[in-house]
Amino acid sequence: MSAEDKATRVKAVIVPCSGIGKTYGTVSREAAYEITEELRPEETQLVPLSMLVMGDEATRTAVANHPAVAIDGCKLACASKMVQESGGTVAVELAVLDVYRRHRQFKPQGIAELNEAGYQLAHALAEEVATLVDEMTSDE
Amino acid sequence: MTQFLETTVDKFSFKVATDRLYTPEGLWARLEDGQVRIGVTDFFQQHNGDVAFAEVMPVGMALAAGDEIATVETIKVDIMLPSPLAGTITAVNEELELAAELINQDPYEAGWLALVQPANWAADKANLMDPEAYFVHMKAEAEQEAKKI
Repeated sequence: MSAEDKATRVKAVIVPCSGIGKTYGTVSREAAYEITEELRPEETQLVPLSMLVMGDEATRTAVANHPAVAIDGCKLACASKMVQESGGTVAVELAVLDVYRRHRQFKPQGIAELNEAGYQLAHALAEEVATLVDEMTSDE
Repeated sequence: MTQFLETTVDKFSFKVATDRLYTPEGLWARLEDGQVRIGVTDFFQQHNGDVAFAEVMPVGMALAAGDEIATVETIKVDIMLPSPLAGTITAVNEELELAAELINQDPYEAGWLALVQPANWAADKANLMDPEAYFVHMKAEAEQEAKKI
């Protein structure tokens, strides 16, 4: 699929936390990779928060033209805030901590490399986002 | 209405309520109609991060000062909280079961942990810090942490 084809098919952009060296940030990014590469590769597009911060034009356009699913690693909510500051619309705002509260058996640990529970939490989060993307798609 | 001592260290502001006593670990204890309400401080909650889960020992449990009264799991650490006093737990904050974030949002009021019937409050309170002493202690800790950043 060309980049142009993809851009027309995408239903939502996924914007994870960029917290480097933070366990919950890593969970948010692992979940975002799983959504955009495996679960809903045609319907979603990964948006790196750093590109938004830098003001990358293509990234800002993607965010401006699609509803965003922001996945925040902490209460600073940088992902949600940057989407809004970039002129985008946060259709869904998720916090890793809230997902963990629903899946206490998956206690994430590790930073660069998550423990097994961390990957399981990321998977649970990815599944939730995939469901939300499906709902957004069905609304159209 | 609760009054606060306030300070800003680096970009963080911290409050210490003036109507209660403190432990160096960051727990507060306030006498209310013969019972002592317990919680954690503003510095404690900011320093340790967003609370995922808080588990308080059950009503009826007898504790010595220093015994575990609760455990708090945050996005950074798991922490055992030592009771500031000896006594028997008469109530726990059940709101925390579904809304542990109350500890972060309102540590001095809605985020309280437990109510304890004291065994010997006169003796235990002598081992606690008054607000001014805790304020100095907390500020030193905060400044130490700021140097690490």
